[in-house]
Parts: sequence; C-alpha cells; structure tokens
Amino acid sequence: MNEANPGALAPLVAGGAFLLAFIFGAVGNRTNFCTMGAVSDWVNMGSLDRMRMWLLAIAVAILGASGLHLAGVVDLSKSIYQTPNFTWLSYVVGGFLFGVGMTLGSGCGSKTLIRVGTGNLKSVVVYIFLGIAAYMTLRGLFGAFRVGVLEKATVTLPAGQDLPSLFATYLGLSRAVWMAILASVVAGALLVYVYASKSFRANFDHTLGGVVTGLVVVGGWYVSGHVGYVAEDPNTLQEAFVATNTGRMESFSFVAPLAFTLEYLMFWTDKSKIITYGIASALGVIAGSAAYALATRTFRWEGFRDAEDTAMHMLGGTLMGFGGITALGCTIGQGISGFSTLALGSILTFVFIVAGSAATMKWQYWRLGR
Amino acid sequence: MDFDKELDARGLNCPLPILRTKKALTDMQSGQVLKIVATDPGSLKDFQAFSRQTGNELLSHAEANREFVFFMKRK
Repeated sequence: MNEANPGALAPLVAGGAFLLAFIFGAVGNRTNFCTMGAVSDWVNMGSLDRMRMWLLAIAVAILGASGLHLAGVVDLSKSIYQTPNFTWLSYVVGGFLFGVGMTLGSGCGSKTLIRVGTGNLKSVVVYIFLGIAAYMTLRGLFGAFRVGVLEKATVTLPAGQDLPSLFATYLGLSRAVWMAILASVVAGALLVYVYASKSFRANFDHTLGGVVTGLVVVGGWYVSGHVGYVAEDPNTLQEAFVATNTGRMESFSFVAPLAFTLEYLMFWTDKSKIITYGIASALGVIAGSAAYALATRTFRWEGFRDAEDTAMHMLGGTLMGFGGITALGCTIGQGISGFSTLALGSILTFVFIVAGSAATMKWQYWRLGR
Repeated sequence: MDFDKELDARGLNCPLPILRTKKALTDMQSGQVLKIVATDPGSLKDFQAFSRQTGNELLSHAEANREFVFFMKRK
C-alpha cells in the first residue's frame, strides 16, 4: 500500500509495465509464442505443443496471481474480471469474433505487436484498425450496439464471478480457502497435461515461452495492484490504481491499450493524458520484439501480398477491436490475465476465442477447395 | 531439386502458408515433391512442425533473398 503522491508513482507503474512487456515481446519472438498459432497447429496439423505453451502460461499465472492475493499483496477482486455482472452474451459473441479476427489478421493483439517489432507492415495496419475499432466499441458507434444489445444479456451474480467466490457462495467455506483449492487443482491439472507430452518437454522454448508469459502476467498484477495501489488518492479521497485506463487493477491485455496508444498520440498536447500501464505495455512488446529481431538479425520488412490480403487484415483488426472490447479482453487479457483470476467470463471467452479461430481456419481451408 | 508442383506463399502469414500447403498436398500423389516459397519469418518452425506431425517429409529448406524455400515430399 502506498501513501505516496499518485503522480509520482505513475512513471514507476508505466516503467514496470514497459519492462515486463519488453521481456514478453523478446521471449514471444524467440519462442514463437502465438495463441492463434496454437489453434492453427492444433486444427491444421494436430500438434498441441503451442496450445500447451498457452496453457502453461495460464497455469503459472493462476498460481502466481492466487499466491499474491492470498499473501495479501494484491486484491484480485479489484480487477475488471471478477465483477458480479456476468455478461455472458458479450463473452460469447466478443470472444468468437475476436477469434475470427485474429485468424484473419495473422495473430492476436500481442502477436500483432510482436510482428510490428519484426518489421511486419501488415501488422501496423492491423494495429491501427484494431485500435480504431476498439475505441469505436468503447465510446463510439460500435459501443451503442455493445451496451444496448449485447450487455443487456447479463446475469447478476450474488458475488464475484470468479470460481472461488461462486463456490464459497453456494458450497460454504471461505473464498480464500476455495481460491487455494481451485488454483491448486486447476493449475495442477494444466501442468500435468502440459508436461505429459514428450514433444513439449523435448523443446525448452515451449517451457520458456509459457513460464515467462505467465510470470509477466503475475508481474503485471504486482506492478498495477501493489506498486500502483494508493489507498486514498489525495485528490479524490478514494482508492486508486495509478496510471491505469480502467481505474481498476490491471495486468496485460492487448486490445484497449492499442486504442489508448492511438488516443495518446492524437491528444498529445492534452496535458491530462499520461503514458498509462496499458500504453507502456503495448510499446514495450514492440520494443522487446524489435530488440530481439535486430539482435538476431531476423528483422525484415513485410508487406501485403494483394488486395484480398489487405482486406482480410483490415477486417481482422476491426473484428479484434470490437470483439476484444466486447469480451473484456483478448487471448492474453481474458485468456491469461483474466483466467488467472479464475473468472468464469474469462474461461468462457477463452473457449469462444478458440472456437472462432478454429471455425475461421476451417472456412479458409474450405475456400481453397472451391 | 526436382519437384512436381510449386506453391507460392510469398506475402502470406500464418495460418495461410500451412493451409495452402495442406491443400496442395491432398491433390498430389504419394512420393511427389512440393516446392513452397514463403516469406513469413515463422514459416521454418511451422513447416518443421507440420512435417513432424503429418509425416510429409521436409526434404530440405533454405533461405535466400529474404525468402524461404521448402521441398516437401507427400507421404
């Protein structure tokens, strides 16, 4: 808990986010960590190794996030993921469309940033379309549909939507006890599944990519939820999470931060705008990926193949922007950060992102045979 | 190296090079060789994994002029 001036903490929070994101960008580039690639390997060639890398990241993040919460270092109920409002239709529709978009756009939000760092100009276009669509879904045209239609389908739960809260409400025992039990069981089951694979164990990059990504998310919770936590902001007399766009505790997510990065650039002279946790994280991934690409001499300029390729990437970015905001996160935001809080909506979104991506790959393959 | 069919995957990113390769191989006979030209930096790892998983042998791969060239034999 910090009593310091929130303004003085902001650079620390943004700097911490940038550093963690830099590591994620470099390691993601090296290990080929890619959630869309994980689905592709599974659907198109029957390999689950990269899916296991993703699941390993989730397991590490669950253990770390729960550990921080149970140790009293952070309070996961202060994140956006554990609210009692279970907007199930938003998770389903948003998750599915995000999955479609990431397949058409050559990767999810984080992979887009990694590709930008390696010189892929197509991903720069995806970034811009994703950011604009995300902003339109937050506050613009798409936002009216999101709030007026999709968010109407909401179930208000008696407690937070995280599994420990739900188990505590319906089965007794405390939330903390259920968190310890469920985190151990879910993460343990994932770890057993991940390391049961001989081919996964044979490649150290699989473990490196999964563990580092999971730890980066845990580090993100620590930076935003502990370093950036102010019990009473002297300006508002309310608790605050410094340098966040949501006003809540954040970890890594790569949809809304892309929109806020564009907003920051467009409102540069507005002195009320600062480099937030999300903005720093987006820039950090690009920087980390670029540093690795330059160090290994793998940086190369890439452009669009033709008009169809251009259109598909523009559509992919737009769908990711809309879907990611609607579902409250992407493959990292909901798929790892949210999942690490054991939130029901995160798990549902994860399933529908994978379903949307897999369905799109089946459609792409069908088109080739026409 | 002799080949029976060529696939141009230049400018395409994952998952399209793999999808097009998969489709091309289904239209070929066992033992025939497919030449693939790609530019996606991730294509080497993708094609190695594809070969390992599907049993279609990756006969060779090379990089020149910012392009990756693969020769894959249909199982």
